[in-house]
Amino acid sequence: MKYIQNTIQKISIALVVGILLLSCQNNLDDLRENPNAVTEIDDAALFTKAVRSLFLGTTDVSALRFSGHYGHYFVAGSTARIPDQYGDNFDSQYNDMYTDMYGGPIRHIEDVLEITTADGTKNEVRHAMADVIAVLAYAKITDAFGDIPYTEGGKGKTEDILLPKYDTQESIYKDMIGRLGNSIAVLKSADPAMGYPNSDPVFNNDLDKWVKFANSVRLRLGMRIRFADNALSKEIVAQCLAAPLMEGNGDDAFMIQTEGNGNPWYNARTGFPSVKMSTFLLDQLESTADPRLPKFFMLDQAGQYSGETNGLNDVAFGESNFAAKSDMGLALSSQDSKMYMITASEVWLLRAEAALIFQNDPAKANELYRKGIERSLHQWEIDGTEISNFMASPITTLAGANDEEQIGTQLWLALIPNYFEGWTQIRRTGYPIIKERTYDNLSRGVTNGNLPTRFLYSSFELSSNHINVEEAISRQGANKIDTPVWWDKN
Amino acid sequence: MNRFILLIVAIGLSVSAYAQKTVSGRVLEKGTNTPLLGVTVLEKGTTVGTSTDFDGNFTLEGVYADNVLVFSYIGYKTLEITVGDQNKLSVFLEIDAQQMDEVVVTALNIKRDKESLGYSVSQISSEQIDVARTNNVMNALSGKVAGLQISQSNTGVDGSSRILLRGITTINGNNRPLVVVDGIPINNGASSASSWGGTDRGDELSDIDPDNVESMSVLKGAGAAAAYGSLGMHGVILITTKSGSKQKGVGISLNSSFAFTEISLTPDLQNEYGTGAFGDFAPMGPNGRPVLDYPFSWSWGPKMEGQPYTNWLGQPDTFSPHGNPYEQFYSTGYSLSNTVAFEGGSEKGSFRMSFTDESGQGIISNNTLAKQTYNIRGTSKLTDKFSIEGKMTYITSKVKNQPGLAESPNNTSLQLSLMPRDIRLYDVKNNTVDANGNEIKWNLDNTFNNPYWALDNMGNSDNKNRFQGFLGANWDINSNINIAAKTGMDYITFDYMAFGAKGAQAISNGLGEYSHDSGKSRIWNSDILATYSTSVSDFKISASLGSSYRNEWSNNLNVNGNDSKVPNFYNISNYKNSFSSEATYEKGVYSYYGLGSVSYGGFLYLDATLRNDNSSTLPKDNDSYWYHSENLSLLFSKLLGIESNVFNLGKIRGSYARVGNDTSPYRTQAVYTIDQTVTLPYTVASIPSNLPDFDLRPETSNSWEVGTELGFFNNRLQLDFTYYQTKTNDQIMAVPISATTAYDSKVVNAGTISNEGIEFQLNAVPVESENFGWNLGFNFTKSNSMVESLNENLESITLNTLWGVSVEARPGEEFGSIYGNDYSRDNFGRKLITDDGYAQKGERIKQGSINPDWFGGVTNSFRYRNLTLSALISVQQGAEFYSYGRAYRMYFGTDARSLDGRETGIIEDGINEHTGLVNETPVPAMLSQFTNIFTNEVATDQILDASNVKLREVTLTFDFPQKMLRNTFIQAASMSAVGRNLFFFYNAAGDIDPESGYNSGPTGAALEHSSLPSTRSFGANLKIKF
Repeated sequence: MKYIQNTIQKISIALVVGILLLSCQNNLDDLRENPNAVTEIDDAALFTKAVRSLFLGTTDVSALRFSGHYGHYFVAGSTARIPDQYGDNFDSQYNDMYTDMYGGPIRHIEDVLEITTADGTKNEVRHAMADVIAVLAYAKITDAFGDIPYTEGGKGKTEDILLPKYDTQESIYKDMIGRLGNSIAVLKSADPAMGYPNSDPVFNNDLDKWVKFANSVRLRLGMRIRFADNALSKEIVAQCLAAPLMEGNGDDAFMIQTEGNGNPWYNARTGFPSVKMSTFLLDQLESTADPRLPKFFMLDQAGQYSGETNGLNDVAFGESNFAAKSDMGLALSSQDSKMYMITASEVWLLRAEAALIFQNDPAKANELYRKGIERSLHQWEIDGTEISNFMASPITTLAGANDEEQIGTQLWLALIPNYFEGWTQIRRTGYPIIKERTYDNLSRGVTNGNLPTRFLYSSFELSSNHINVEEAISRQGANKIDTPVWWDKN
Repeated sequence: MNRFILLIVAIGLSVSAYAQKTVSGRVLEKGTNTPLLGVTVLEKGTTVGTSTDFDGNFTLEGVYADNVLVFSYIGYKTLEITVGDQNKLSVFLEIDAQQMDEVVVTALNIKRDKESLGYSVSQISSEQIDVARTNNVMNALSGKVAGLQISQSNTGVDGSSRILLRGITTINGNNRPLVVVDGIPINNGASSASSWGGTDRGDELSDIDPDNVESMSVLKGAGAAAAYGSLGMHGVILITTKSGSKQKGVGISLNSSFAFTEISLTPDLQNEYGTGAFGDFAPMGPNGRPVLDYPFSWSWGPKMEGQPYTNWLGQPDTFSPHGNPYEQFYSTGYSLSNTVAFEGGSEKGSFRMSFTDESGQGIISNNTLAKQTYNIRGTSKLTDKFSIEGKMTYITSKVKNQPGLAESPNNTSLQLSLMPRDIRLYDVKNNTVDANGNEIKWNLDNTFNNPYWALDNMGNSDNKNRFQGFLGANWDINSNINIAAKTGMDYITFDYMAFGAKGAQAISNGLGEYSHDSGKSRIWNSDILATYSTSVSDFKISASLGSSYRNEWSNNLNVNGNDSKVPNFYNISNYKNSFSSEATYEKGVYSYYGLGSVSYGGFLYLDATLRNDNSSTLPKDNDSYWYHSENLSLLFSKLLGIESNVFNLGKIRGSYARVGNDTSPYRTQAVYTIDQTVTLPYTVASIPSNLPDFDLRPETSNSWEVGTELGFFNNRLQLDFTYYQTKTNDQIMAVPISATTAYDSKVVNAGTISNEGIEFQLNAVPVESENFGWNLGFNFTKSNSMVESLNENLESITLNTLWGVSVEARPGEEFGSIYGNDYSRDNFGRKLITDDGYAQKGERIKQGSINPDWFGGVTNSFRYRNLTLSALISVQQGAEFYSYGRAYRMYFGTDARSLDGRETGIIEDGINEHTGLVNETPVPAMLSQFTNIFTNEVATDQILDASNVKLREVTLTFDFPQKMLRNTFIQAASMSAVGRNLFFFYNAAGDIDPESGYNSGPTGAALEHSSLPSTRSFGANLKIKF
């Protein structure tokens, strides 16, 4: 009897244990699924992410803390103005810029590029559109740092590359120009249904506008290498001029941030540390009676337009009554202000420069120059009489003596609020002229008072991708903020 | 465990049929004549026996006259009586104080003789816990247990504690020991602030009511904790709560405590120079107030000599200092706790019910705590062989207005320590809001606010409801086999609301904001354990098989908004912009385990554990992992027969364990998250920044320890020494990777950390007589964690950062090196000074470490008749921390040390970088401090030594003599006076408490940032039993 009892006990224990083991494994499998996320997605949702973060990137730390100062557009208050003193002690921000760009547009566009070439989800049109976004993102990073990981960059997930090699800026530029050429060729004759209907934050899947957009970006890149590889520049620009380019304000590439608190410049204006417009910009606008002044500047506490001088040392800054200076204008810094990537105005002005230097045609250049200015005025919705008044003033006509400077200065104005591009324009052409800081009350920083020409590779990058970044430094020059990038010959 | 087994054996055995005679009797406690329930009565040399009932009675049949009966009972001296011709026995057992200490609770709640264990265990009794009652029961262990590091900063009422047992073993995770209450592992999480601010929301351990705790056991090594699998990797703290027992009197006990809390240490501030910069006042702004921006909002202005000036409000005033703002701002806090407990027991079972009400107030008067704990615990013997038990604890707590810490806009200490020294706190208090409803500030920066505005307009409340309970059953199938099963859970819901009113730039640009976090979490453990035990001649053998399932689940919902519509209304409906988010986590672990123990002759003990875990956090192919542990204890004094009154115990022990560990959920799957957009016509998805690892393996940790326990003079002197080593391999961690990969980190198995340490504990009773006694306890710990390797190509993992300082794990260095910029120096270590006289930024170097060289505690306890005075002194030698608070105060010019060179300028100690001559060029003190600390982020001067000697606890207890209570209904009563954290005998950091980090994580002790002042408390405690 006892034996039977024991046997029954043993069998039932074995059964219970067996059933437990089976149900356990099933239960564990269920728990492996992450309930907070999905494992598959339409690449359209990643494309929108990439595009949005690219456009939002025009307001990121690179603009807010660095190129807004370097471009002499504004001065931030308190401790945020230290980059304005040409220091280089901003290690975490330098790394943030990498993180923002690689982790934002590039992370998501690389996934799109993979999905749109994979079996079953292959889509040439989407791939071409994604390439334009990828090029804009990589262009910004290389313009900021010089050599960067490009062919192996951004491929931590898609190709499991954890230590990407650095490419030279020259090779990156050549490849980007080629990629844009391919995209234009595909998009010219593409079926819009194959694109991103209902998932294009910029042009609502209007592929004609995409062709103009891609070709205009290509023109920008072509002109950027003008001093580094003049022949190639000339050739590419000629190709761009033969294809559709942005012409009207309806072609402008911009985005309005409707989520959250809207345009980050709104926070920069209303928050702390506050941002005040620069004396340098004020002088330009006031001396030429430029009607964009009230768009770019708000009236100060005294009911006037006033600016803060860039680069003041601590004593001079303390005594400058910074808080009372003009804020950024409402057109630039409202919650629904547009974030521009590239505009028809920039394209006209680049064409003016091209006409002057490649076609040696000052008359044509003047015509294009005036169109560029006019587009910009329309872009800011300046009223008609003011436009005609300004267009009658001498500054809007190329005088023949300093044409490149005139064009460069107008480009610098037209690029507002894409401050990063504004600084890049100064680095490329040397216009407008930013003088070496020699005054007693100005900080000379680590550059002896000269305008910084790049950002530093961060110490985190130097430790986490050591061999590759060291190779880039040995090729490109010391990891300093006044080492010029490849295309920067001025 | 032996006694436990014997007890089972004794109960289970049927009585022999050869009864020569029947002996009955009664077992009572010597001195009090209290009947003792469950005393084992055995015929010596056999397993025949019985146990006493509720009234202490026993009956044993079949006894021969020459039999010797052995009466044994845990906590009492064993007594042997020859039966002779007696048929009725009265037996008096004497309490054995030494033996009481030796019975400890071990893994899976098995009670064992401490002698038999092959690993180190420390146990703390309820007296030690509830006399010097603290909000967080863990703090009762501080300074008392070798190997255990516990520290608690003043972060508001009910703040979290940093707890480490035998140092840091893993890069991943919080390294906190597992806490098991009555056999059920509970949530031991903690949340605290970061360098950017936030509040300390306490740790889950602070919900354990000290008045309900019977004992706490600290299982230090993996050998001790192996039965808990990976959960026990960082050690285990076992808490046994009180269960009812037969009481003298009616079984009601009361415990009341009250304590005041006052500030004890504040930074030294200077009282000579006031607002301004470069020795001048700030320029006047257009509104008639001085410009309150850098650098004029600092205290680098003119000397305060009572001269007339325009103060920060734009009013005419005299320029003079106004004393210590900390003392003016903070008030005395208190904590109050009352517990009533009812308990009783009979042979059929026992029951205990208690209610505790706690309330408290921090040194900021609106920072309050209200907590109630309801607790029921009972056991019932349904049959002789089958019993059930259960517990339910319900805790409801409400904490209001936890103070902002570190860089928070409502960190009042940051404001007080940096405000220009001429600002009168009274003016700050009376000028919080201007006519437009905007905050009146003393500095434009968002970080700096009017502390009184923050008190009135920023706040939070944390409401928590927690249910802990278990059901258990115990079945003695026969004399050899026992099955025990238990299921229990720890279920927490919380609502955390935080708000900031309109009108302060720091809060959503003046719009006001609100956030409401609502969370639920559940940990559910079920286990079953079958034990077979027998003895064969001198061997005693026990083998157990068990299985358990653990499920952890949590869900969080957050809504937050900004731009309030109407003032002083904190509900999401009142905000123009609102956002929400949700997250759910769940993991499950199935385990199967076997435990075996063999003992021989009462002097050799061998234990072994084998366990297999299957975790949902690992990929299917790697989700199963094994552990084992082997523990050996040898009582060589018994083996060699050298026990005497002088040398009464000699034991050596050794333990080896291999433990595996899983990770947090969802690290093995690539996913896309959906962005929570509101206005967009299209869908936006994101890829998380952390790359998963599809082939993740469990971490493994191998550890061994050896130790010895020696007892002299009948345990009047006890020594315990342990050496241990642990090596943790294949650490699962999210390794930071180059941003150029487009990702921040990748989950990998990589890296090895090794730990080694020495623990020493001494307990002595130098004097013991009826009227006077002296007890001395001493413990010493030296523990070291080394990073042996990390992922290839990775030079360092940053664990924590503040300003330019980071706490890092670097191969070849101890875990938790503190890195920061040094000055530029020549080969002889002399600073290189510029022609202008400035020091310069140099290399980023190791400036310190979070690991103390050693730490320990000394407890002295003196008893004179019924009065006991006990004092605990804790000592720490070594370890460093970075004080950003002091750094701030230095360049803001409020610190007393910033007086150096005010008038004459500072001449940096060093040589001119070009000429090599000793520097003689003075620079203005303000620019020197600002350049070094802010611009160059040089940390060297603010890396402070954490060495200290602290009078941590003093208690004076009076036990009312029985004589006094004889004619009352009171059974026992005692009163204590308690002081905690009274003062430092020595503090290398001077005016900063080395235990004042804003974060209670493993590396949190390394970083200090404008902490709330440290506090000391005085209180009284009254315990009465009816």
